[in-house]
Amino acid sequence: MGTPEKLVIMVTHGPDDPELATLPFTMAAAALASDVEVVMGFQGEGCLLMKKGVAETVSVPDLAPISDLIGTIAELGGKLLVCWPGLKSRELDQEDLVAGAEIVAAARLVVEVTSATNTLTY
Amino acid sequence: MAETEIKATVVVDARGLLCPMPIVKTAKAMKGLAAGEVLKVIATDRGAIADVPAWAGSTGNELLEWHEEGGDLVFFLRRGEEE
Repeated sequence: MGTPEKLVIMVTHGPDDPELATLPFTMAAAALASDVEVVMGFQGEGCLLMKKGVAETVSVPDLAPISDLIGTIAELGGKLLVCWPGLKSRELDQEDLVAGAEIVAAARLVVEVTSATNTLTY
Repeated sequence: MAETEIKATVVVDARGLLCPMPIVKTAKAMKGLAAGEVLKVIATDRGAIADVPAWAGSTGNELLEWHEEGGDLVFFLRRGEEE
């Protein structure tokens, strides 16, 4: 289907804003179902969504819950990249994160964003 | 509504699922079909009315027909040559 498309979705909200925390997962799953490559980048409060047990506490009416979508996104090949400074300031490390979450820093996210065909920021 | 219902190879029951799961289930099921085969999708999330045609158009599949049955949204999609 022509040039492969790649969507980078930056997630900057977590339990502080359940709707803005959930929508990026909604978009990621829809994109993967449409054969679009997806990379999710978590920064700031968004980092908390990658902490084990947190996604289960965040939900909004009429959207599939994050905890269900994380598994779907991983299954369909989506990447979950978590910014290291955001983890460090929240005293989190790799062992605190959900399966599939990868710790990165700014330069790696820049590589992902500049190679994307589109970027969304929440 | 079609007088004679289109025959589907596989039926996806996405009733009760919230956005974007009807599309996720549809995409997974479609990958199991051969080109030309038909998938029937039953959903209740009204976002599917816009999502299913958009998804079909972007993935090379064809929406043959859709209609409402009670509170259910029923879609018939034909698998394209490639996704």
